Amino acid sequence: MANGPDEKDDDAALRARLESLSSKLDAHQAAPGGSGGSNPGDGNQPGDGSLGGAMSLGLRVMTEFVAGIVTGALIGWQLDIWCKTSPVLLIVFLTLGTAAGFWNVYRIATKPTGRGPL
Amino acid sequence: MGNADVAAEQGIDPIHQFRVEPIIPIHIGGVDVSFTNSSLFMLIIVGLASLLMVFGTSRNALVPSRLQSAAEMGYEFVASTIKTAAGTEGMRFFPFVFSVFIFVLFSNLLGLVPYAFTVTSQIVVTFALAILVIGTVIGYGVYRHGAHFLHLFVPSGVSPILLPFIVLIEVISFVSRPISLSVRLFANMLAGHITLKVFGAFVASLLGAGAFAVIAPLPLAMTVILTGFELLVAVLQAYVFAILTCVYLNDAIHPGH
Repeated sequence: MANGPDEKDDDAALRARLESLSSKLDAHQAAPGGSGGSNPGDGNQPGDGSLGGAMSLGLRVMTEFVAGIVTGALIGWQLDIWCKTSPVLLIVFLTLGTAAGFWNVYRIATKPTGRGPL
Repeated sequence: MGNADVAAEQGIDPIHQFRVEPIIPIHIGGVDVSFTNSSLFMLIIVGLASLLMVFGTSRNALVPSRLQSAAEMGYEFVASTIKTAAGTEGMRFFPFVFSVFIFVLFSNLLGLVPYAFTVTSQIVVTFALAILVIGTVIGYGVYRHGAHFLHLFVPSGVSPILLPFIVLIEVISFVSRPISLSVRLFANMLAGHITLKVFGAFVASLLGAGAFAVIAPLPLAMTVILTGFELLVAVLQAYVFAILTCVYLNDAIHPGH
């Protein structure tokens, strides 16, 4: 472990790369909003900043979250009936379903309305 | 008195508007395939959408008429939605996404017309649409990528200890998609129409309640506000349905995100 200064150099280089990458990302994200399409309402967020956009996002988050939990519960319940292991799988899949619900919400939060990887 | 009784029997029941009633009863081999009011309104929706598109695109004027303008705006809106959500490759699904969007939009908007039946307030209809979308995603994903499509459930860079849990969570998350897609549209339409009906019924019962008729304009104003709000919800939900279709199709085109 004699590479102390080396590590520092690596850190600095990594930070510089991250910074250039984030500035590139910012530029890329700003670009489609500026030149995207002919009609003004077609930004990535439905109805930019308006009541409608906020409401649709809120409802989306709620339904995605609830759907994850409900799906997990249903799968666990049916597997329990099938395997005759009454409460175990329900608990396991309910937990996994909750995690899936949080994961759905996280995915909405990280890329608002599904930007393609282009 | 007689009026109040009629109101109590017909107007106050907010669920009555969602009842599916057969118009032409048809039974084939014990299966009820009757032509119902729901089928009638689906036919009306498809007819109106076809009329808009056929007449909107029949005269290719350089300066568009109102109808042509509406048709072209619909096209451009859906096309830009697909391009932002699924890239240019997603444009091969344009007919599918456009049909789904126009069908949902027209049924949401037609449902706001008094005495009309709201097709999208039936979970059977919205779930069928959602299953159609997810079925297309799975079918195209498997056709295009084969077994590589399963990489959708295996994110890269996860430690092997966590991998089984992550895969299970991803699978549950994928299975929950048609449920959330259909329940969102159905619940929005159902809740909105019930609220409208309840406030409308308040007006009727307050008018028949003697001195309390003075405050009858309050729920009436609320009904007016809610109608505008429902218009917003109708368009918004059609848009959300379309853009989520694009997001899911994007997964089929590029799995392994």
